[in-house]
Amino acid sequence: MVKGWDDKLFNGVVYTVLGLCGLAAILPILYVVSVSLTPFGEVLRNGGFILIPREITFSAYRTLLTESNIPKAFQITVLITVIGTAVNLVLTGLMAYPLSRRNLPARNFFLLMIVFTLLFSGGLIPTYLVVKSMGLLDSIWAMILPNAVWSFNVLIMKSFFEGLPEELFESARMDGAKEFRILLQIVTPLSIPVLLTVGLFYLVGHWNEFFQAIFYVTDRTLFPLQVVVREILMQSQQPLENAENMLPTQTMQMASVMIASLPVIVVYPFLQKHFTKGMLLGSIKG
Amino acid sequence: MKKMNSVLLTVSLLAALLAGCAGGNNNPANTSNAPSDTAAPSNDGPEKTGEASGKQIKLEIIETGNNLPAPDKDIIKQELDKALNIDLNLTVYPSGDDYKNQLNVRMASGNFPDLFMVDRQQLIQFSKQGLLLDLTPYLDKLQQTVDFIGEESVKKGTVDGKVFAVSKSPQIPYQTYWIRKDWLDKLQLPVPATIEELAKTAEAFTTGDPDGNGKPDTFGLTGGKLNAFAPVFGAFGVGMPGNFYEKDGAIVNALYDPAMKDALTFIQQMVATGSVDPELLANSGLQHSEKAIKGQAGIVYLDWPNLTKEQMVEQIKTVNPNAEWLQIAPPSGPAGQNDGTWDIGATPGRYAIPKALEKDPEKLQRVFDLLNYISNPDGGSMLVQFGVKDTHYTLENGVPKMTDKASEVGYSWLYQFTGRPEMEYLQAKFALQSEYIKFASEQPRIESLGGFIDNPEGYNPADADRYIEEEFAKFIYNKRPISEYDAFIGTLESTMNYKALLDSASEQLKALGYGG
Repeated sequence: MVKGWDDKLFNGVVYTVLGLCGLAAILPILYVVSVSLTPFGEVLRNGGFILIPREITFSAYRTLLTESNIPKAFQITVLITVIGTAVNLVLTGLMAYPLSRRNLPARNFFLLMIVFTLLFSGGLIPTYLVVKSMGLLDSIWAMILPNAVWSFNVLIMKSFFEGLPEELFESARMDGAKEFRILLQIVTPLSIPVLLTVGLFYLVGHWNEFFQAIFYVTDRTLFPLQVVVREILMQSQQPLENAENMLPTQTMQMASVMIASLPVIVVYPFLQKHFTKGMLLGSIKG
Repeated sequence: MKKMNSVLLTVSLLAALLAGCAGGNNNPANTSNAPSDTAAPSNDGPEKTGEASGKQIKLEIIETGNNLPAPDKDIIKQELDKALNIDLNLTVYPSGDDYKNQLNVRMASGNFPDLFMVDRQQLIQFSKQGLLLDLTPYLDKLQQTVDFIGEESVKKGTVDGKVFAVSKSPQIPYQTYWIRKDWLDKLQLPVPATIEELAKTAEAFTTGDPDGNGKPDTFGLTGGKLNAFAPVFGAFGVGMPGNFYEKDGAIVNALYDPAMKDALTFIQQMVATGSVDPELLANSGLQHSEKAIKGQAGIVYLDWPNLTKEQMVEQIKTVNPNAEWLQIAPPSGPAGQNDGTWDIGATPGRYAIPKALEKDPEKLQRVFDLLNYISNPDGGSMLVQFGVKDTHYTLENGVPKMTDKASEVGYSWLYQFTGRPEMEYLQAKFALQSEYIKFASEQPRIESLGGFIDNPEGYNPADADRYIEEEFAKFIYNKRPISEYDAFIGTLESTMNYKALLDSASEQLKALGYGG
């Protein structure tokens, strides 16, 4: 295929713009990685800015993984993420499926109620009171149950289920399947893309768990990763009040950021294929 | 078909219930004004009231802080638990905003911690709402604590004549000017003794290439915002903007001090030479100390820990093995020497007890026991200062000496709810920095009285402070001529209700015996 100069120019512009966008995304991560691997003295000597480390040390990671609260927090976060995402998917699926059936009585009423929670919420203190009266304070469930179902994800799943051909359900029913069998053996296997997409939303949400943790949990041993990492990062933002306070070095801060974000960064590429598919599904109605 | 529909109905009903919980996620912002009428004290917390006095009681304490280890590694907690038969659950919040949100939510929902840190504003607010325990009738039970913190500190926790909080014993000043001795030597300059010399030195540090790398990449002075000029204000006998202090027997607000304009003019001229950190007013946290360590600035207004602790010295030496920081006395000016201001009314922290604890006398007694124990110089005070005897410190002729294991209890300050005898404490804990500690604490400072003043109704300190900061930035960067200073004061009084603060402040200070 022969291209004219204008095509080449167009491609050139596209590549340049995309390249710059890519660079803008990669540079900050590269900076964090490099600083986390460079001895702090070296960082200071370079005026605090390093993109390619010349000297490499893993001492910051070693300290964080052996002497800080991070390993414990990591366990908590993994626990919340695994249990939480499982709970989320089961509940969201069970909610979205009935709502996707057009013969559900009072379907519009329920949909309205769900959309209502997208726009309005009870506010922090009433929510806190509910969590407290449920006896959830100071347990990992306080970080799982209050957000067990996100309304928005219900709507995404619902529209995906609506897109499944009606004939499938008819033939299943003709073969004698009841609702639960249809859900488990027909709908679920067909819904892997949307389950992965919504699951990823939930997973990232749990991994970044922060607000519920600082409000509902006071037990240090139950703090998730983000709370601990924020503690490390916040220290150097504040003026020194106590002479004995040991400030974590920038190397240490960046290493803690890496520990907190690496797992999610690693998971993304594997889910990306399904992710785009799941995002698109339900966006076109036909 | 009908049966199936009802199953569907049940499932979606259940799910709808759960969705109701989903709305509030990620929205913690609206907590700053917890409605007070929902805050009726209730004692339906998870803790049971104790029966036998020998029972272990769980105490919950929250405050701001950081670096607290997990309970199984927290030797101070374990020792306190053992000594007092309690299960102490301390939670610290590194960010002041997070802490405020947490405290407000808990106060509003009646889920009170047993002891918590409050600032003066919160102390007044919560005590007016009847959420705090009036400690006045219990003071005899807290005798040990009162003796330890001193009568002056008791006053700092008092609202309308009633003691609502235990205040930490006062601190000593840490900050002074620090200057690069090796830069001075290179440019053959003397240590600046006057503010004119300070300005000249700063300029030489900017233009004279003191680090010898051939690039104009250094500047003279840095510091945390306007604090960089604290000794300069002091040299004019002026406090920091907004401070109240006594001058010639009368109470003065720094903004109304006649010398303020002279100080501003001097600072504006100094800034105009380009010798001051251009990001000065944007320096937050410890950015100015980083600039000093990186070798970008030659003079910095900083506390001694951030330049002399081993960790810091190591960093300084890695960047430049020849770097030498010299702690200097405040340069003198028209009104002598003053190393900025020192608020004699301030306290490093106040701790309050919820009113609800009144109904649980046994637990209340344990809170008192705890406060008394950590205030007992022969008992727990040594523990929360230095750690475990013969492990983290040894006593030599009654003077504590830290062992090489001392760093294991570097977080012990989090448990100093009643403070510490500051000078002895620092001397023992920072033996190497002993000279710097003394030097900083001995410098003359203007005694500011801000800590004694409660904001009057109708005066919003946040608005006024922001306005003052903005306008001062304009003055020193010559974006607004200093001749308009009186117009600035006019606006401050008319729109920010500053007059109300002035009147109230002088009234409050007179009542305490200041200003004749």
